[in-house]
Amino acid sequence: MKKNLLSAAVIAATSALLLAGCSDPGAGGTSADPASWPDQDTDLSGTSLTIWAAQNSNTVPDSVIAGFEDLTGAEVTVETIPDPYEQGIQTKVATGDMPDLAFWQPTASQLTALNAGTNLQSLDDAPWLENVDPALRDITGLLDDTRYAALVSTPAVQGVYYNKDVFTANGVTELPTDWESFIELGRQLDSAGVTPFYEMGADRWGTQWWVQVQLADAAADGLWDRVNAGDEKFTDPTIQGAIDTYASLIDEGLFNDDIKTATFEDQGAALLAGDAAMVVQVNSFFGQLQSLSDTETLNDTIGFFPIAPSGNIGSFIPDQSNALVAFATGDAEKEAASRQLLSYWLGDGYADFVETQDTISLQPSVPTPDTVPTALVSVSESIGTSVGSMQALAIANPDLYIFLADMIQGTKTPAEVAQATQDQFAQLAKAQGADGF
Amino acid sequence: MSTNRALASPKILRGALSPRGSSRSSARSDHPALFLIPALVVLVVFFFVPTIFNFVYAFTDWSSFKSDIGFVGFENFADLFQSGTLLNALKVTLVYAVLVAVFQNVFGLLLALLLERDTRINRFARVMFFIPVVMSALAVGYIFQALLKPDGALNGILSTLTGTTVSTAWLGDTTWTIVVVALVHSWKWMGLSMLIYLAGLKTISDDVLEAARLDGASWLTTFRSIRFPLIAPALTFNVATALLGSMNGFDIVQATTEGGPGGTTELLNIFIFRTFGQGLFAQATTMSLVLFVMVAVLAFPVIRILRKREDVL
Repeated sequence: MKKNLLSAAVIAATSALLLAGCSDPGAGGTSADPASWPDQDTDLSGTSLTIWAAQNSNTVPDSVIAGFEDLTGAEVTVETIPDPYEQGIQTKVATGDMPDLAFWQPTASQLTALNAGTNLQSLDDAPWLENVDPALRDITGLLDDTRYAALVSTPAVQGVYYNKDVFTANGVTELPTDWESFIELGRQLDSAGVTPFYEMGADRWGTQWWVQVQLADAAADGLWDRVNAGDEKFTDPTIQGAIDTYASLIDEGLFNDDIKTATFEDQGAALLAGDAAMVVQVNSFFGQLQSLSDTETLNDTIGFFPIAPSGNIGSFIPDQSNALVAFATGDAEKEAASRQLLSYWLGDGYADFVETQDTISLQPSVPTPDTVPTALVSVSESIGTSVGSMQALAIANPDLYIFLADMIQGTKTPAEVAQATQDQFAQLAKAQGADGF
Repeated sequence: MSTNRALASPKILRGALSPRGSSRSSARSDHPALFLIPALVVLVVFFFVPTIFNFVYAFTDWSSFKSDIGFVGFENFADLFQSGTLLNALKVTLVYAVLVAVFQNVFGLLLALLLERDTRINRFARVMFFIPVVMSALAVGYIFQALLKPDGALNGILSTLTGTTVSTAWLGDTTWTIVVVALVHSWKWMGLSMLIYLAGLKTISDDVLEAARLDGASWLTTFRSIRFPLIAPALTFNVATALLGSMNGFDIVQATTEGGPGGTTELLNIFIFRTFGQGLFAQATTMSLVLFVMVAVLAFPVIRILRKREDVL
């Protein structure tokens, strides 16, 4: 019996070791050279495509899918991946599971995180590109000079949402034109007994915008290239300075008293009610406001202006609902069908898409519906002159927002925030095999 | 029981049919090692392989950023121990586990003593206290998160009772939130501890208790000198499972605080989840290996000490 047990153990151990031999289950097919683009109406009867989408983007493609299915006979299914979406997809792709298409943040760091060179199809020479507004065509979606993501709607911009009524009640007629006048306005409102700025310390993720908008000029000057190469660190004066400024403004009392416990929902309610004058946020914040009020009220009460140290420059930050990537699944027929769907989406199906989504058009030939709220139009107008945020330009996206939230809670100093961010950035850059780390 | 019979019966049959077969040789020929293979395959694929992967990947640079995996030796361990985050997460995990072990056992034991008699009301109450155990931990977490918000139900009740506006952020304090979250965890699992203590209490012989009563021992003396020592096995099980189970805690903390405020409730598993989400799969695996080692290091002495208490039985 002992001998049997021994032999069983040996079999178990050897087979386990054999199975455990190191291989990456996520190593997908290899992406081919820029491929051919089928006509939008090529017959696809019997072909089925899967699109992965997040909880907030799973209805975005509805009109496109309906039109595409009618036109080609293909069958397109949207599969909702639960939040946290990006983590879920990375884990699935790492273990060898892939859809044909997926909503994905089209930034360099997120394309790197999907191992774009191996897992994604190149979208170079796509037929729709000539129709896209030239100012928006190449702002994102590219990695190592290859296009991997198709932008379907305008990317988000970090900037200031303000309550028009609060401004009027306090005699503010001119919008701030640079950082100095922006902070000066904050102090002026504070002395008038108004809460100038509202921050969501408990939900954490919004905390990073205050630091990032301060870096817009430096970003235009190549800050993130230097950070990516390891030549400049988060602890060096530029980024550290922005963190310090944010901390000092909080200490000065220019933010809401409940900054430690305030949530994203509180932030929207406070701005809408006029309990606070300004909020530095991105487009999803406006989505939150839309869930609380109607377009007419929002047009009357909420405005937007971009801000940076030197003037009204926005920092754009595309998110997952703005773009799609096509996976290199290894099935040439389906890969071509995925490209065809994207051609249709940004081709014949685009006008209908913009209309049903009530969103801003990326193509001058397709008009933006006049039902789009004015604040969102201001946001999209600022994109042409905006610069990339950390998410758009850095090769890795460290948890800066968590460390800043820690700072708000009092468990980290501004110097520790920069150090922790730098450490994590270096760890991620090293894992990517970036030079200089 | 049924397995024993199944094993025994062919042996008896064979013995009856062939008078020469000794029990040793018949056992061997009746159950060739081949029979083990189906069970073994399941065991290997679903148990050994993942465990071994967990060890192997900790020494590699597996990440979401590239397709090839290379061995890097102890680099991941060196990096992890250099940054203070891991040590902080380990500390938080340990504090959380101890708090949960204490709360869950105190509550469980009190409930067991309170609901010991088999009355109709007690039976109903036991079921009510056991319901949280079978509830989804994430659901429990989200419910408590809503209750404990600054404008949540708890503060609403307190405001009505005290007549002043209470807006305490129960989940927003960098010192006390870990205690609150540990209380939520204990609330969810105290029903299980109660059940096991009840079972322990039921095994105590009535004779012993009657003798104590005849000797004039008070309720407290009986409990301290007779009943509590006699439920030692239940205590061992409860403390060990609460302590070691909460070291692997994730769901309740993720749902209530996500590791905040200020990282003061960031359990190792939340840190692992965050690291895995960043695409640093190897580093996350290294952390789970560290957690495994920590649980093992803690489990042996704790269980040993608790088992020693049972020696008097």
